[in-house]
Amino acid sequence: MALRIGADIGGTFTDLIVSSDDGSIFHATKVLTTPDRPDDAVVAGTGELLKEAGQSGDGVQQFLHGTTLFTNALIERKGARTALVTTRGFRDAIDIAREHRFEMYDLRLQRPEPLAPRPLRFEVDERVLADGSVLVALQDDDIDRVVAALRESGAQAVAVCLINAFLNPAHEHRIRDRLHERLPDLAVTTSSDLVPEIREYERTSTTLANVYVQRIAEEYLLRLQRRLAANGVAGRLLVMQSNGGLCEADVAARFPIRLVESGPAAGAIAAAYSGRLLGYPNLLSFDMGGTTAKACVILDGEPLIAPQFEVDRRYHFKKGSGLPIKIPVVEMIEIGTGGGSIAEVDGLKRLRVGPRSAGSKPGPACYGLGGRQPTVTDADLVLGYLDAGFFLGGKMSLSREAAAAAIDVAVGAPLGLDTVAAAAGIHRLANESMASAARIHAVERACDVERFPIFAFGGAGPVHAYGVARILGSPSVIYPPAAGVMSAIGFLVAPMSFDFVRSYPGRLGNLDWAAVRDLVAQMETGGTAMVGSSAADGQVVHQRSVDMRYQKQGFEVRVPLPEGRLDAAAVDAIRANFEDVYRRLYGHLVPDAEIECVSWRVVTLGAVPNVNLPKSNASCATTDAARKGARQVYLLDNRRLEEVPVYDRYRLAAGVRLQGPAIVEEVESTVVVAGPAELEVDAFGNLTARLH
Amino acid sequence: MDQLVLDILWSRLIATVNEQAAALMRSSFTSIVRDAGDLSAAVFDRRGRMVAQAVTGTPGHINSMATGMTHFLQRYPLDQLNDGDVLITNDPWKTASQLNDITVVSPVFHRSRLVAFFASCCHTQDIGGRGLSADSKSVFEEGLIIPIMKLYDAGRPNEILLEMLRTNVRTPEEAVGDLHSQVTGNKVGGRQLVRFLDEFGLEDIEALSDAITDRTEQGMRARIRELPDGLYRYSLQADGIDHPLALTVRIDVQGDRMIVDYDGSSGPSELGINVCLNYTKAYTTYGVKCVLSPDIPNNDGSFRPIEIRAPEGSILNAQPPSAVCGRHLVGHYLPSLVMGALSRVEPDNVMAPGADALWESHIMGIDGRTGKETAFTWFASGGTGALSDQDGMAATAFPSGVANVAAEVIESLAPVRILERSLRTDSGGAGRFRGGLGQVLAFEVRTSGTAHFAGMYDRVHNAAPGLDGGLPGAPGGVTSDANIEIEPKRIVQLRPGTIVRLELPGGGGVGKPHERDPELVRADVENGYVATGAARDLYGVVLHPIDRSVDLAATHSLRKQKAAPAGR
Repeated sequence: MALRIGADIGGTFTDLIVSSDDGSIFHATKVLTTPDRPDDAVVAGTGELLKEAGQSGDGVQQFLHGTTLFTNALIERKGARTALVTTRGFRDAIDIAREHRFEMYDLRLQRPEPLAPRPLRFEVDERVLADGSVLVALQDDDIDRVVAALRESGAQAVAVCLINAFLNPAHEHRIRDRLHERLPDLAVTTSSDLVPEIREYERTSTTLANVYVQRIAEEYLLRLQRRLAANGVAGRLLVMQSNGGLCEADVAARFPIRLVESGPAAGAIAAAYSGRLLGYPNLLSFDMGGTTAKACVILDGEPLIAPQFEVDRRYHFKKGSGLPIKIPVVEMIEIGTGGGSIAEVDGLKRLRVGPRSAGSKPGPACYGLGGRQPTVTDADLVLGYLDAGFFLGGKMSLSREAAAAAIDVAVGAPLGLDTVAAAAGIHRLANESMASAARIHAVERACDVERFPIFAFGGAGPVHAYGVARILGSPSVIYPPAAGVMSAIGFLVAPMSFDFVRSYPGRLGNLDWAAVRDLVAQMETGGTAMVGSSAADGQVVHQRSVDMRYQKQGFEVRVPLPEGRLDAAAVDAIRANFEDVYRRLYGHLVPDAEIECVSWRVVTLGAVPNVNLPKSNASCATTDAARKGARQVYLLDNRRLEEVPVYDRYRLAAGVRLQGPAIVEEVESTVVVAGPAELEVDAFGNLTARLH
Repeated sequence: MDQLVLDILWSRLIATVNEQAAALMRSSFTSIVRDAGDLSAAVFDRRGRMVAQAVTGTPGHINSMATGMTHFLQRYPLDQLNDGDVLITNDPWKTASQLNDITVVSPVFHRSRLVAFFASCCHTQDIGGRGLSADSKSVFEEGLIIPIMKLYDAGRPNEILLEMLRTNVRTPEEAVGDLHSQVTGNKVGGRQLVRFLDEFGLEDIEALSDAITDRTEQGMRARIRELPDGLYRYSLQADGIDHPLALTVRIDVQGDRMIVDYDGSSGPSELGINVCLNYTKAYTTYGVKCVLSPDIPNNDGSFRPIEIRAPEGSILNAQPPSAVCGRHLVGHYLPSLVMGALSRVEPDNVMAPGADALWESHIMGIDGRTGKETAFTWFASGGTGALSDQDGMAATAFPSGVANVAAEVIESLAPVRILERSLRTDSGGAGRFRGGLGQVLAFEVRTSGTAHFAGMYDRVHNAAPGLDGGLPGAPGGVTSDANIEIEPKRIVQLRPGTIVRLELPGGGGVGKPHERDPELVRADVENGYVATGAARDLYGVVLHPIDRSVDLAATHSLRKQKAAPAGR
């Protein structure tokens, strides 16, 4: 019996799950995260986990891991002293960035500092043109001049990003090889190896971010592998990527930037998996925590994938205020609304919720840790959605008085509202902003989110999902069990995968198909090499696609390529696929316009692992037996506090039905159904609320 | 209306226009709409008042669309509009003061009654005529003028108009494609609005609009009331064409209202840099909002307490048929003008003047790769001015907010090769806080055959002044390796292989340079933002020749010596 372990390092807890492929073992545990050396918690937690499950480390076939270590290094600017080598004339492209202002009226904007300071940016004389041909050939003595300058500069890492290198990587490769030869201790990433895509600012930013954390990644992953082995845990170390797939540790060490969004990605993967299991291929995954909420559209059983994202958005999570990273990522919208979001009344006497957050220190007023400003959590407590005596299963007690006082001072008094009305305003506005962000996200992806059930997890997700669902018009809300360890579950159900992209632009009717086949074949070979060795039976699938647009459109859509040989005979099928995708996204085609292909992509996937989620073994087959009491809860329709029954999640057996309004408590969160709904528990312990 | 209900409805209405903008941007054909965000989107009530606006776009589009809706209603009163109608215009005097900016308005019907309008304004790549240049003597030379008319009549496209458009512009697919995108965006917004009305049981948004705009107006008035009553003046000089332009403002604060009067500014230009009054109003309200009320939403209410005047026939209130294509070269100065005037009373909430006008490069010619005539425009920005507590931003678009286009994208779409995009040393005006640096942008013309080039640039002869003792930023410059002078705002013919070098202006500084923290000056020198000579001569900061650290003693004595009265 082969065991697999998933380990997710979060801000507070490190979550671990062990499962066997036959479904006989499924056990989860939590240990406190050790921020200075995150592997300490992983190693100790693994020991605990195996002990609790009564298993030994020998049986572990795969160890699946995700970490925010590299994200933190980027946000805290604790990476290597990083240099840049670029084409003559372009060392400031990373500084000049997009030149735009991401917030129109704020005169005090600041752009993020580039990861390579200006004195560490070096230029070489070379030039590749927009068709990939070489205008100015790179000279060896020019490379050596830069090598000497890099040695002198004390740089620990260098990104090599030359203009148009995505079309012709020869110059970047020569610089890379020379650097390996002359400065073997220097970490090097070339843009053409990491992200061969058009747009120099975004490509440079991505390349810099990768090499900035490369050493940290190498050292951490090696150390973790060594320590796990020393503790008798056999098995391969596989790491979760931002695209929702797993990769080998050595691949992760070369391309750590691919791991940056792995935690949230894994949550979405788990949501997609549960959706498939329950017969909901389309879902809106909704993960709300302390500072932000994240929403992700799951379409046809898979999360949407975006070609780029931003790390370290400094300005209220606003688009444009972070460092762009051009890496495929599970597409997620992050909203600055969480349990810790602060409510206040602005100069127009409007109630505002977030994006300022009280975080965990001082935290909401009800924590009693010095927070004086009212937060969403304070409102939820006043409304009876949270139990002052059963927060985190009773590990922490909350002060309803402190919450009410904070709300009265900051919201109630200025608006002339009583405490409950003010709290209801905070709760509802938080729901409004999350719902509107989710809906705009769906519009951008041409999805009709009103038909999608919501899959709610995270500490505050189940508290707010019902209200969000009512605004969006969602048919139902699914509350999974173990909502607090969704990312670790995501690791267990993710396939091995790696994605490649090569830009080779041209008009569809006028492509050199031999060159295209060559590119695609190279990517498929690379994919088999990256993924095949760890995939079950070495079997892999290649998903081929191409980013296409109408000529001169600034934006591409991803179009699946037809099976079979890519040649002039495939043009009609490719055009038809493009028109399908385009019509779905925009509702119309553009007559008489030429169609262009821009970037060719291959995603190589291993099989989806076979995981048997445990069946619920709760005992109480009737609602009454699972009822632990009742309390005053604010109802959204009646707009007042009324008595609502409270149930114990752990006692609700499969098949049990409940009527909303209802409160269902578990350790990590509380399911709040503040109005009418039909609730049912399924065999896996999921609670589903039907709204209509 | 119940306070909390209002807050919820308000945020929902803003969400609908953000959806509209998202749908529009995703399907746009034009890189400057898609990549640079040169568009605006908003919802209007039955009276044509703007109620909510998407969080995107440029002030020129947004605020002039806000005032432009009344013209649509005058031409097509409510009873002449049917479900499925879509209106269009690019009349500069009715909307955004340039023929390339096309406004598309869709009435929304709910239970067979017109309840609102969704509108958007987008910059189209080409509208015929001379192309983007300031070389025209009248608007008739600038391209196709589309009066306010129906683009769709009860769902049927106006094929005659579309055919006229296709035939008159250089890039017909983009022009018509973007109209489709605008219609789609309006539809998405309208559909969402109807759902919203159903959910909350509303007949229309008239009462909501009153509540939102009144609340906003009150907020705006409260902010103005905090300013001391009085007259505040400022003036700037812009390059203009052939002779410099005076831009003069007088802001009269009277209790809770202000009158912004541009009397004293230059008369109209014979060429295409004239500004229509709606555009003057757009950038004026934008400047006032940046200073007084960045957090107050933009809608009809925010404009009410501000009266904006410019004498008829002045360059800021040009009359038809003046040429207006380059109106941003003058209009972009207005926020700096407003901030200069208000700097006396709001010194901590203003920015010194910066490069101001966006630099727009426009090239036309045959692209040898396709053998086709092509037109391409790209933007670049100089530095912004400093604030009282912060350096200006290098190479950042203010006030336009428009993003650049990547060099690799320019090269893939246009017969141009970019040679350099770099920060311009010593271009930021010295001060306690330094102006933002301008940039150097060099490119090679790679058309097959002669290229027609127009550089819509300003601040080449007139630097951005500093505030409060800060020094001006460096003015801009345009040079080429060919033996011809490239005069900004004029179409020139360039041979293939010509290399053009643009030096974009820097922003003005704030406060005396000698008050700048020597450590900041040292860091500027290390980064190459300020040269060693300028550190010494302008900032009075001396660096140790070996380790480049601040020589505090020498700095102290140099600064003291320079502070001593002259005439030793």
